[in-house]
Amino acid sequence: MAAAEPSLEELRQLVSEFRPNRGHLLPALHKVQDTYGYIPRSAIEVIARQLNTTPALVYGAMTFYAEFRTHPPAQTEIAWCSGPTCRILGGDRIREALEHTLGLPLGGYSEDGRYALHLGQCNGTCSEAPQVWVNGRVVGRLTVADAIRLARRIREGA
Amino acid sequence: MNAALQSLITRARESYEAWLTNGRPKVNVCIDTSSLARGADETLRIIRETVAREGIDADIGIIGSWGFCWMEPTVTVRTAGGTRTILYGNVTPDRAEEFVRRVLVDGEEVPELAIAVVEGVSNEGIVPLGEHPFMQGQVRRLMANCGIIDPENIDHYLARGGYEGFANALERTPEEIIKEVLDSGLGGRGGGGFPTGRKWDFLRTATAEPKYLVCNADEGDPGAWVNRILMESDPQLVIEGMLIAARATGAREGYIYIRYEYPLAFQRMKVAVAQAYERGLLGTNICGSGLDFDLIVFRGAGSYVCGEETGLMSSIDGYRGMPRIKPPFPAQAGLWNKPTNVNNVESYANAPLILRHGAAWWSSVSDAKDKGTKMFTLSGAIKQMGCIEIPFGYPVRRLLEQYGGGMRDGSVLKGFQPGGPLSGILPASEIDLPVALDPYRERGMFLGSGGIIFFDQHTSVVDLCTYFVGFAEDESCGRCTTCHGGTQRAVEILRRMAAGGGRDSDLDKLEELTRTLVWSNCLHGQFALTTVKLALRYFRDEFETVIREKRDPAGVLSGLIRYEIANQADPLLPEAADICPTDAIVETHEGWTIVDELCVRCGACREVAPGAVRVVERFAQPAAEPTAAAAR
Ligand SMILES: Cc1cc2nc3c(=O)[nH]c(=O)nc-3n(C[C@H](O)[C@H](O)[C@H](O)COP(=O)(O)O)c2cc1C
Ligand code: FES
Repeated sequence: MAAAEPSLEELRQLVSEFRPNRGHLLPALHKVQDTYGYIPRSAIEVIARQLNTTPALVYGAMTFYAEFRTHPPAQTEIAWCSGPTCRILGGDRIREALEHTLGLPLGGYSEDGRYALHLGQCNGTCSEAPQVWVNGRVVGRLTVADAIRLARRIREGA
Repeated sequence: MNAALQSLITRARESYEAWLTNGRPKVNVCIDTSSLARGADETLRIIRETVAREGIDADIGIIGSWGFCWMEPTVTVRTAGGTRTILYGNVTPDRAEEFVRRVLVDGEEVPELAIAVVEGVSNEGIVPLGEHPFMQGQVRRLMANCGIIDPENIDHYLARGGYEGFANALERTPEEIIKEVLDSGLGGRGGGGFPTGRKWDFLRTATAEPKYLVCNADEGDPGAWVNRILMESDPQLVIEGMLIAARATGAREGYIYIRYEYPLAFQRMKVAVAQAYERGLLGTNICGSGLDFDLIVFRGAGSYVCGEETGLMSSIDGYRGMPRIKPPFPAQAGLWNKPTNVNNVESYANAPLILRHGAAWWSSVSDAKDKGTKMFTLSGAIKQMGCIEIPFGYPVRRLLEQYGGGMRDGSVLKGFQPGGPLSGILPASEIDLPVALDPYRERGMFLGSGGIIFFDQHTSVVDLCTYFVGFAEDESCGRCTTCHGGTQRAVEILRRMAAGGGRDSDLDKLEELTRTLVWSNCLHGQFALTTVKLALRYFRDEFETVIREKRDPAGVLSGLIRYEIANQADPLLPEAADICPTDAIVETHEGWTIVDELCVRCGACREVAPGAVRVVERFAQPAAEPTAAAAR
């Protein structure tokens, strides 16, 4: 369910404040992602031109980072905490259960674009472990069964 | 004192005092990432709505963290006369309305949620904050404002001694400032412990211009959130520290590089920087002193090696965030190849304390070799996951038992990780080691940046190694084959072991890899297998059991266990079958069975029907004694 990509003109406007050689690449990519939820393909060339660099360098830098997305976000984005306390308290079994319930590997998007599963990093909310983030909100102190029920509700669209 | 700064401070004090003494009760809700995880924004909204609806005359505000993260949302309530302030915990959204009615309408206290008395006399049941077991022995200097001030109001900071260290710095020469920092003995808090004053001097004496400061707020170590607590609870402290460093080194521009996973810290730092600009504490000719300093809050995008200082600078520069070979060191060639100083958040945050109270006061907190206080976050299979500030030298046992509240019910300490995925792990027998740099260095590991993780008997050391090495592999920048190839090889071996395919030669291979990876370019590769190295030293039996007996003493490695029906008559079996994500539990004409090829060992069935399903060893001898795995 790919949303229409924004026009080049719109993208140029969006990144017009950024300048070459001022550490503006990541801020420009963030601005695009904050606006559209991902980095549309055409934005790479627009940013490269604005920053007087090459699309290869922009793409190369962008793909170094786990949190720049090249895929439009799903309606429900689930991130599974891969961190140590979550793991010590059974988090890896939650991952197994989520992957099988949703039929997706980490990094996968459902075909209809309704949900996606990502790997998340510990942000120090370990007192809620084991946990997942659903559209950025912590759902914590999960049992594996809780996680399966949650994933089923999301899968069923409830 | 600098006149402009003096008048800023005076005005801030006046407005803060006026607010404190305005005769209205004050309810302050902690809004930080930990409290938000427990719905603190909802708690705040409900409190605001209730107060508005009931027409109650009260000030409702926000504060940062007190460190009681496991009891979020925390709330402080100050009486109208200001005679008494109580800290409450677990004020979850479902309790918020009744809570606020009781404290503001009925004028009562709520003993069942009370943590401690912050201000005023204690009464039955509610202890003074300093006598709370979690606070005894803590020395809150960096955290002096945490939980007390509104982190989005610079006046609160200014009114409570903020920018006095900077004021003193303005009256000293750069050399004098650096001498004070050197005399204090402050070592870098990002894990290395390198003397901060020496680093500043490298930058001061560098000849090229312009010079830059970088604050490393990448805090990538999973299980560490000390930098986040500071940035979310007292962001001006970090800015003041950088200003002092700017004055000492001649840098005119600074960056605070904050990891992507900390959106609230990013937003708070931006607000704080904007307020500092408004007051003339950043920008050109700061407070008329002739000092120019611009500060940019920069957001990472999800990469662990961007916490390594050269990777971090590549990232700001707009390249892939790959660490590079040192030398040249940042003080010679850093951002845009110009002289740069990189320090951790907590390192900068100590500078205002040193400049305000003097090196002697700062280092006199204890007679430990490592000077000053250090913040730690405690997590793992413990009761109280929170954030503390203590002098160096306390035994780790005290951190676990007193501050962490001990292990969870049913958990026995098996070991701990002192600080970060590269730092290594130690067995329970080392729990009396002090928190200090040397003992860990002597063991071929390091103390790290502050996130201590305790694990229990249900944790497999093979699994922990798989996780930490897998993390290092995922996060390897890919530059050196030793690092990206070596971590990959190690993970393959560990995964095969966990799946039941361990071989006798595996331990030698892992050891060879630990010796090979030290040849990586940066510390990421050099330390990527510290956990494995230490695990092979302290937990060797466990590896041998896993390899030779195909048995996991922790009872969790999925290749070494199997689920089976324990009781055909259990009425909960249909529920177990229903929760199974792979439909592995089926009813045949011979009764219920678990199809082993389908079972992913997630354990959901045992949660819903504990008596119906059990875990057994996959390669058990026919008449084996019941084992730990089966007993779980
Ligand atoms: C892989 C890797 C990750 C690191 N991550 C961080 C980090 O998140 N925060 C930090 O302050 N230092 C981190 N460091 C250490 C920095 O390279 C650097 O030594 C530190 O920021 C210097 O500041 P300090 O002297 O104040 O400790 C990391 C180092 C390595 C090798
Ligand atoms: S380990 Fe999951 S939040 Fe820290």
